[in-house]
Amino acid sequence: MIPARANRLQLAVVLLILVVLHFYVRPRLWGPRTSPDFLFVALMLFAMRNGPGTSAVAGFAVGLASDALTPAHFGAGALAHTVVGYLASWARAVFFADNLLVNAAFVAVGMWLRDFLVLAVSGSGDQPILTELAVYSPLQALSSAAFALVILLAFREWFSIRLDA
Amino acid sequence: MASASERSYTRRDTVLFVVCFGLSLFGLFAPPSWSQGISAGLRETVLRPLVWLQVRAEEGKTSRVRLRAITEQRDSASYLAQGLPSLLAENERLRQLLSLSHRLSTRYVAAEVLHQAQATDGRTLLLSAGSEDGVAAFDPVVAPEGLIGVVLNAAERSSIVMTWAHPEFRVSAFTVNGNAAGVVAPSAGGDGVLEFRGVPYRDSVPVGTLVLSSGLGGVYPKGIPVGTVTGVAREQLGWERVYRLLPAANPGSVAHVLILVTSSGDVAHAFPSDSALAAQRRDSLERIRLADSVAQAAREARERRADSLAALRRDTTRVARRPVPVDSARKAAAPPPPAAVKDSTP
Repeated sequence: MIPARANRLQLAVVLLILVVLHFYVRPRLWGPRTSPDFLFVALMLFAMRNGPGTSAVAGFAVGLASDALTPAHFGAGALAHTVVGYLASWARAVFFADNLLVNAAFVAVGMWLRDFLVLAVSGSGDQPILTELAVYSPLQALSSAAFALVILLAFREWFSIRLDA
Repeated sequence: MASASERSYTRRDTVLFVVCFGLSLFGLFAPPSWSQGISAGLRETVLRPLVWLQVRAEEGKTSRVRLRAITEQRDSASYLAQGLPSLLAENERLRQLLSLSHRLSTRYVAAEVLHQAQATDGRTLLLSAGSEDGVAAFDPVVAPEGLIGVVLNAAERSSIVMTWAHPEFRVSAFTVNGNAAGVVAPSAGGDGVLEFRGVPYRDSVPVGTLVLSSGLGGVYPKGIPVGTVTGVAREQLGWERVYRLLPAANPGSVAHVLILVTSSGDVAHAFPSDSALAAQRRDSLERIRLADSVAQAAREARERRADSLAALRRDTTRVARRPVPVDSARKAAAPPPPAAVKDSTP
């Protein structure tokens, strides 16, 4: 069995890779509204391996970083990421098994929920909320889920993920 | 580490969640000066290496795009240089028209837009220039197409821009022909268009009219294109009309902007209207056509001269080779008549 410390180190390495990808590779990809959100994928991977409280703190940190870089409505990102981080960790512990496709779908649903919360708390009009939630958010959720799938496949040994769908 | 199913839902988790939730709510309802201070502090400390990383990535992307653009320009220029100098001049002129920075007389700072993953990206933008470059709060931000917004907060190496899509955005504006003035704000429905509000009922603004910033209020200089009128949005109580505007610039897709660090004066000359551009283009095309017609006339004249010379040469050759009749040869060789001989004797 892999010791807990080594496991934490492996997770930290993956998260660091994702943070670098978010800030160095993502700007070079296609449109910013549909490119995968590597930071959010990192949060979800973290939430899958940690308790709800720790995930909420991680979500708060990620949200605070997002708010500092896009302060459309300061606090909205922190609130949304806190709730999603907490719920992701809690719901995964209660409902989901270590399954590859379920984990990817989990990322997609979490991202859509994050966008919904951010838009709702930011006080956007009805039309932008509908457009975002019906078009851009699902596209970004899909691209992020696909990327999460790749990460899980690449590091399946580290994450102890089953490959059967 | 314990597996997910083995994790327990503890009181500590709840406490951590409540604390984070409370801090988020505090951030949400904190005064803007506080939240902006926190944002700037985070950007300048913890997030600074990450922002630096993103700036490098944007530069790398831009370098590739620039290299491609320069290669294309070089190819087209070399192609044009082969035999179409008038089109080369036209190309150069259009390039000059496109480079807004050359036209701006006010001091400006060029900045890259660092787009973020949030759904609200577009309402506020993160720029790669900050107070170190001379950027300050309330500096107007423009793109070659028109107004993008205003600097909300400038940290040392980055700044936040409130774009026209932000619900709190307002700019005093007037129509390009000067017959109506009002205030431009994002539409109440938040459908990505602008509204030209406060136009008196007696003033009608035709569709297609360009709306420019008026310079009132001292934030935006006069003459920056804000949008084009696309119709009447609504009429309020019979004394005011609200017009719908198609925004001149799109903050969601803009990659580079100029921050006007001295925003006084009139910058209308830096943004030639479509009609002015069309007129200039017509003028340049007319000149090319004229140059072409002169060249055509010269070519035709050359051809005519060559034809006439060839015809003359043909005629000369024909005369030289024409056979001389025998009688006339004899007449030429015969002695002069006796009368003539007599006349010639003294």
